[in-house]
Amino acid sequence: MTGISRLGLAAASVLTLAAVAGAQDSSRPRDTDPLSRLDQQSRYAVEMLLDSARLAGLPTNPLESKALEGVSKRASGRLIVMRVRETYRTLKEARTALGSTATQDELAAGAGALRVGITQAELSQLARTRKDKQLTVPLVVLSDLVTRGVPRDTASSTIFQLWQRGAADDDFLGLWRGVERDIVSGTDPGVALLNRAREVPSRGPPAAAPASGRPPETSERP
Amino acid sequence: MNRPKLPATAAFAVTLALLLPEQRAEAQNASELETRLEAGGALVSHAATALGALAVAPSIRYATRRFAVKASGSAWRLDDSWSLRDAGGAVEVYSPLVYGLRAEMLASANRTAFDAALQSDQVDAGGRIHYMHQRLGVWLGSGVSRPLRVAAVSNVNISSGGVWSRFGATTVKGTVTSFFFTKVVDTLNNGTTNGATSVPVCAADRPAAVPVDFSASNVSHSLGSASSACRRESRVTDFEGSVHWQHRLVEVTVAGGQRFGDRLDVTADSRQWASARTAIWLTNQLAAVAAGGSEPAQPTRGLPARKYGALGLMLAYWPIPRGTVPVATPASLVKSFELRPAGIALQRITARIGGVETVEIMGDFTDWAPIPLVRRGRDLWELLVPMSTGVHQINMRIDGGDWIAPPGVPAIRDGFNGEVGVLVIRP
Repeated sequence: MTGISRLGLAAASVLTLAAVAGAQDSSRPRDTDPLSRLDQQSRYAVEMLLDSARLAGLPTNPLESKALEGVSKRASGRLIVMRVRETYRTLKEARTALGSTATQDELAAGAGALRVGITQAELSQLARTRKDKQLTVPLVVLSDLVTRGVPRDTASSTIFQLWQRGAADDDFLGLWRGVERDIVSGTDPGVALLNRAREVPSRGPPAAAPASGRPPETSERP
Repeated sequence: MNRPKLPATAAFAVTLALLLPEQRAEAQNASELETRLEAGGALVSHAATALGALAVAPSIRYATRRFAVKASGSAWRLDDSWSLRDAGGAVEVYSPLVYGLRAEMLASANRTAFDAALQSDQVDAGGRIHYMHQRLGVWLGSGVSRPLRVAAVSNVNISSGGVWSRFGATTVKGTVTSFFFTKVVDTLNNGTTNGATSVPVCAADRPAAVPVDFSASNVSHSLGSASSACRRESRVTDFEGSVHWQHRLVEVTVAGGQRFGDRLDVTADSRQWASARTAIWLTNQLAAVAAGGSEPAQPTRGLPARKYGALGLMLAYWPIPRGTVPVATPASLVKSFELRPAGIALQRITARIGGVETVEIMGDFTDWAPIPLVRRGRDLWELLVPMSTGVHQINMRIDGGDWIAPPGVPAIRDGFNGEVGVLVIRP
């Protein structure tokens, strides 16, 4: 082999190694230890909360995700720990409210609803009437509506009534889109929700009324 | 004796094959490639000459966070033959951004031809310090240009400063550029000359020559009589401003300027200038373009002021995303944001956002690491992301601004003074 060929092969090997290392780096955004992005004290606190979640049989992904979200949004370590602790608490409360059969997605959505002010009793009402349907979408929509300024009681009772009437996921998402449009065009959020809720068709017999808990507010039907 | 070529060839092929994915990944992360081709009718007039022709102007630009390379040109069809009008290339190198500050080195070379008699070549080099923060940028720079075959006999020292700001879909820019150079003035023959530095410096009490007229008949490319020629130091300062506005399918740029300097250096038709350009996007890659206005003379290059008008089509293509300019952009610029299944555990995110440089997303499905969307058209951005069924949280960021919940998806407060979108991916 000539000197030039050897040089070419050596260069190719170096480039190949560099390329492989680079490709591995770029094709995998996930860190092997994502929590390493936290400062040591915060990391310790977050890991304690993760351990607690494991012991309680709660999903740890939402906690880890909240910590990483805080890091990416350049929040302070103290605030990150506070938010992770809040997520842990709401997950725990959501499981109590939704029951042990709640899926991980329902727990995450329920925790989100609790964080915007929905009560455990209101979550329980929804859970008791769910039969075999997933509560994820109604809870996500409920949380969004409260975030957008719909009064909590109005949002909670309206979603509950639609749920009782057998509204499907697409109904809830359609409702949400309509309310969003109305709010953007200047309608009061609560009024927008009540107006749009009237447009959602009834899809079946109402589910059984909850045996206990706060009765939902009534809203007019067309 | 036959050389064994196979190992080297194979090594090269393997290297190339392994490098390609990395290049593509790198390109998706921080690079942009932009190609444009404009074609149409153009009308240009300078001095007593007016010229109309079919014009074609291609350009290509490749940029990363560290450098940018650009090449452009134009050719005109006159008398059944094509002739080159402009051609140039430029390289820009950037330092990392530290506390909003970035050092930038610029170099370029170009040729401009107004007609067969009025041609100019020039090489430029310079540097500047650029401060960028959200919607605002300020820079100060200095450089040197070397015009060839024209009036100036020295290098042209250039000092410049500028400021830009973005208000929603409108970008406003203002610059001040000062040129300092030496040229030979032929006071008797009423023109400028190119050549020997042995020509004496103009005496302070020498009768002032009339302002330089750069029309072809008056520009002499030979040294005038020794008794009438002298070297004169000149300084001109340009104040320029521009406003670029984009709304839906329409882009409008209006620019204007004022030149200050001795009347020997600044002709009357170069005191003020203005231009406007409108592009109406017919598709993501095709636009109808109309432009017109005036340009000042370029005294260092011996090129006169001119007026121009053009009407044509522009074909533009961005095969990979554009670079980063940290500008906060309101969510209202996002015309649409959609998520569609694209295979098992894959989602295709498409967003329509016009007039921005970068669009990024992050969420629990990226471990909250930002990933840039790929530009697929003028305002179309796309990304394929692995996302399992279930509830996911997502944020998007435009031009390095604040993280926002994408429009069109439910959102909740994120606990970090913002909002996060909530996606429900159903089986």
